[in-house]
Amino acid sequence: MVNVTLKVNGETRSASVPPETTLLRLLRDQFNLTGAKLGCDVGDCGACTVIVDSKPVNSCLMLVGQVEGREVLTIEGLANADHLHPLQKLFEHFGSLQCGFCGPGVIISAKALLDENPDPSTEEIRDALGGNLCRCTGYTKMIEAIKGASCILRGEEVPAVKSA
Amino acid sequence: MTERPKVIEKPDVLEQPDILKPQPPAPLVTFPIEVVVPEVRQQTPAVGQRATRADGRLHGLGQTKYIDDMYFPNMLFAKIKRAGIASAHIKSIDTKEAEAMPGVIAVITGRDIPCNSFGPSLKDQPVLADKRVFHAGDGVAAVAAVTEQIATEALEKIKVEYEPITPVLDPLESLKLETPGVHAPSSNIYGHKVIKKGDVEKAFAESDRVFEGTFRTQMVEHVPLEPYACIAQWDANGRVTVYSTLGRITLGRADVARTLGIPMSRIRIVATVVGGNFGGKNEIRAEPAMALLSKKTGRPVKCVFTRAEEFTSSTTRHPLIMDYKTGVTKQGKILGRKIRLVLDGGAYCSWSETTLGKACILSAGPYNIENLYAEAFVVYTNKTMTGAMRGFGAPQVCFAYESHMDDIAKALGIDPLEIRLLNAFDEGSLSPTSQKLHSVVVKESLLRAAKRFGWNGIGNGGNGNGA
Ligand code: FES
Ligand code: FES
Repeated sequence: MVNVTLKVNGETRSASVPPETTLLRLLRDQFNLTGAKLGCDVGDCGACTVIVDSKPVNSCLMLVGQVEGREVLTIEGLANADHLHPLQKLFEHFGSLQCGFCGPGVIISAKALLDENPDPSTEEIRDALGGNLCRCTGYTKMIEAIKGASCILRGEEVPAVKSA
Repeated sequence: MTERPKVIEKPDVLEQPDILKPQPPAPLVTFPIEVVVPEVRQQTPAVGQRATRADGRLHGLGQTKYIDDMYFPNMLFAKIKRAGIASAHIKSIDTKEAEAMPGVIAVITGRDIPCNSFGPSLKDQPVLADKRVFHAGDGVAAVAAVTEQIATEALEKIKVEYEPITPVLDPLESLKLETPGVHAPSSNIYGHKVIKKGDVEKAFAESDRVFEGTFRTQMVEHVPLEPYACIAQWDANGRVTVYSTLGRITLGRADVARTLGIPMSRIRIVATVVGGNFGGKNEIRAEPAMALLSKKTGRPVKCVFTRAEEFTSSTTRHPLIMDYKTGVTKQGKILGRKIRLVLDGGAYCSWSETTLGKACILSAGPYNIENLYAEAFVVYTNKTMTGAMRGFGAPQVCFAYESHMDDIAKALGIDPLEIRLLNAFDEGSLSPTSQKLHSVVVKESLLRAAKRFGWNGIGNGGNGNGA
């Protein structure tokens, strides 16, 4: 067993877990934060994406030993039901998610992108979502939503998107 | 003086409780919504519109609860031992060492399953293989432990002795009668369909040219982002609740009842939010095994497949081998077409019959063909089972007939768009099974698509990409 203390969504949390525990399992099984999903457990799908010290990571690839004292942001820490983050608002508005399983990971990747680059191009958005697989949507509406959210965050109006 | 009790006359019609009596019709409620029933060929207003999903907000907040996000007090975690060998007799399974591990609460094998066979049509799948392994992804034992990690470690401790059997892997081999049966004594051909129209041999004799081609497609996994998962809870009243991602819960309930040997009234299937299905979550997998582990332990049991198991031990899309022969006039008009489809069904039937039927019916393509002979077979092989997947065989045959059309157009020096316009269905055309077709806009769609991506025909600077 190893003891680990870290900051999750602004709160200090600790746990005592076997050393092979991944950050994803720590979040899901110990802290009941089930927003990040387990899609593959080997770093291929991005469903488990969380932000660690302002960088998006696949939490299934990070062991508890690597997160001691660090700051983690999960989808649960982005907003609450009364006050959505612009990304969440526009993902809902544009119907950017279907089954939704990839959603938390995608939105967290997008959040990390917008933190670094407030006005990303379509190419840059595609790049940022390179590690997030979605089996349902085809990504188009996600990209529109991320563009829209970047407008809101810059204080600009969201341009109208044309119907298919 | 006592009054004589009145003889109660038996009414002609038995008095019915109120609830059973026909009720007066409910008052008509008019909605301030104009219900638009589209006419044939009329574009419905929904197409091209954007829609917001009712569940979109929870998805975005990470609050949607998929099965793996659910936890019940005292819950156990299960893992399934996979055979890892394509075809074999199981000589023995020794679970003692696994059972003795601290944290392991129960282990079951195929022998613990009351009725070890199920399937949406043929009941040819075991829940856990007991005597015979039919494909490498077959489960041979299931372990319930206090953590997933312990359950996974316990799998290593289960010793299975196999006597290997030469597997049947090639569907064309499997088609031959002398090939040993995967499910002997049954033949490997477990589904067959023929569609006949006109006289194809006569049509070939009258054709200017006859073309032949063979097309193959590979096995495809659905890869839903959410791997297979279920939770089973067998309660003290002998009732089982199964939380499941099944797309067909009533069918699943029947299969769970069959395998557990208990009436359906004792089974409750709770359909949860599904993290992608695409046809791969249309029949039960580990539900009966989890129910039995729950019965044995008196605790809820959860099972989540690894991504690898999702590939080896869930259904996939049928690989097809498709032989096409088409007789045409010099101008490219199809006079006759003969098709043979061989579907690789893998180890179990699953939704093969549906796939076989649909592939066969659609195999001629959206073309007016007077003389047609289409024959389809589905055969067993010792591979991952194939089943339902988006389109049920339609994408495979589409790849074949459209590739074939391109080959013919090229050989005749005709624009691939032209050959399709010459042969495509019209309003009222008859399908290969003589169904009269409505709302047919194949030609309009082709022309619009050609216009939108700037198709100029092969002779006029077109880029040669098929329409
Ligand atoms: S679960 Fe971490 S990348 Fe797939
Ligand atoms: S919405 Fe289903 S995987 Fe992305």
